[in-house]
Amino acid sequence: MGNEEGRLTRFNRLANAYGADLFRYGMWLCGNEALAKDLVQETFLRAWKALDSLKDEKAAKSWLITILRREYARTFERKVPKFTDVETVVVPDDRELEPDDRAEVQLLRRGIMDLAPKYREPLMLQVVLGLSCEEIARELDISKSAVMTQLFRAREQLKTKLQKDGVTGNVHGLY
Amino acid sequence: MDFTEFTRKLGAEPRSTDPEFVAAREASAEHRQAAREADAFEAKLERAAKLQQPDDLMDLIGAAATIPDHGRKAPRARWPWALAASVLVAVGAAGVGWKMNRSWESVESYVMDHYRHDGAKVIERALESPRGDVHEVLSEFGLDATPQLAGIVKLVKYCPTPEGKGVHMILETEAGLVTVFYMPDTRVTDREMLTFDDREAMLVTVEGGSAAIIAAPAQHVGDFYAMVHDAFIRLTGPS
Repeated sequence: MGNEEGRLTRFNRLANAYGADLFRYGMWLCGNEALAKDLVQETFLRAWKALDSLKDEKAAKSWLITILRREYARTFERKVPKFTDVETVVVPDDRELEPDDRAEVQLLRRGIMDLAPKYREPLMLQVVLGLSCEEIARELDISKSAVMTQLFRAREQLKTKLQKDGVTGNVHGLY
Repeated sequence: MDFTEFTRKLGAEPRSTDPEFVAAREASAEHRQAAREADAFEAKLERAAKLQQPDDLMDLIGAAATIPDHGRKAPRARWPWALAASVLVAVGAAGVGWKMNRSWESVESYVMDHYRHDGAKVIERALESPRGDVHEVLSEFGLDATPQLAGIVKLVKYCPTPEGKGVHMILETEAGLVTVFYMPDTRVTDREMLTFDDREAMLVTVEGGSAAIIAAPAQHVGDFYAMVHDAFIRLTGPS
């Protein structure tokens, strides 16, 4: 296998393993499908160029997340996008849910959108990308206890929203 | 692990495999109940966070592996980091997605290859769920659409083209749905006709590149030439 071919094989492996999850994470960062796709493409462009610097394949996920977060920060230094598209890229399976369950999932989705970034970001690193508290702490450069507090508060806010507007409450606005 | 510590951990890291935490889940009826509730909430949360991967995501990622540094252009006005301006050359990205593992021998082969890949599927999708903002999509290329074009775009999405990222549109016309590929920086012979499978295509020179209009022979692609030719307007302002 030639060097270039080997790089491509490695790149493809990363793309197939992490591309979709990075897109989902990107969506929860910027809330706009086109921007999230560009964010992911830019991430992989940078990854492609720096692929030889990735020595340990086990570190690939964190490496890609770091690239994506840096790219996001650089991109939105001056302009924060409108959080608009999340509900347009929901999984088709949602249609198969019972109405109450679908309503709860939609409420949660809106709840996640409404979370302050300092709560939403660690929560999505955990839920979408499967990072541990230690990994999130490293990624966000904060202490593990701070991460745990943010994750706990994020879930509490979402639970409160579900209780307040949940299936026994105000779900009518969803239809 | 006492109950207070346990619930805190449940709220922060409910999927933790820490042995002490796992053991605590069964420590008492109170622990079990809290764990059950947390698991149910987590399942909903995971469901809510799960978003559909776009059809063209892997194509776009694959394109990243084919972009040489020297091909990248100056940033665009609206999304300065956009890859719209990137140039594709084929060094291969086999396995990532659609045909990013080769260069197209010509614009004609690209148009046929692209349409055969997802032309019918995208038309089907346009019928099921129209989507996309043509103004926003084109702004990435420093362009806007005329009202004549914008008024009939039923679906718009990014797609790979010979010179980087482009745009795939489905137009709703009186003659039925018509496909248009916008190909930034791609030169074509204006009004060149192609025939492949059961389709006809016309290549059109437009602002910032070119376009291919693709339709069934009965739809007469030539009828859309003037509209498409004038449909892309250069955005003014700083770039």
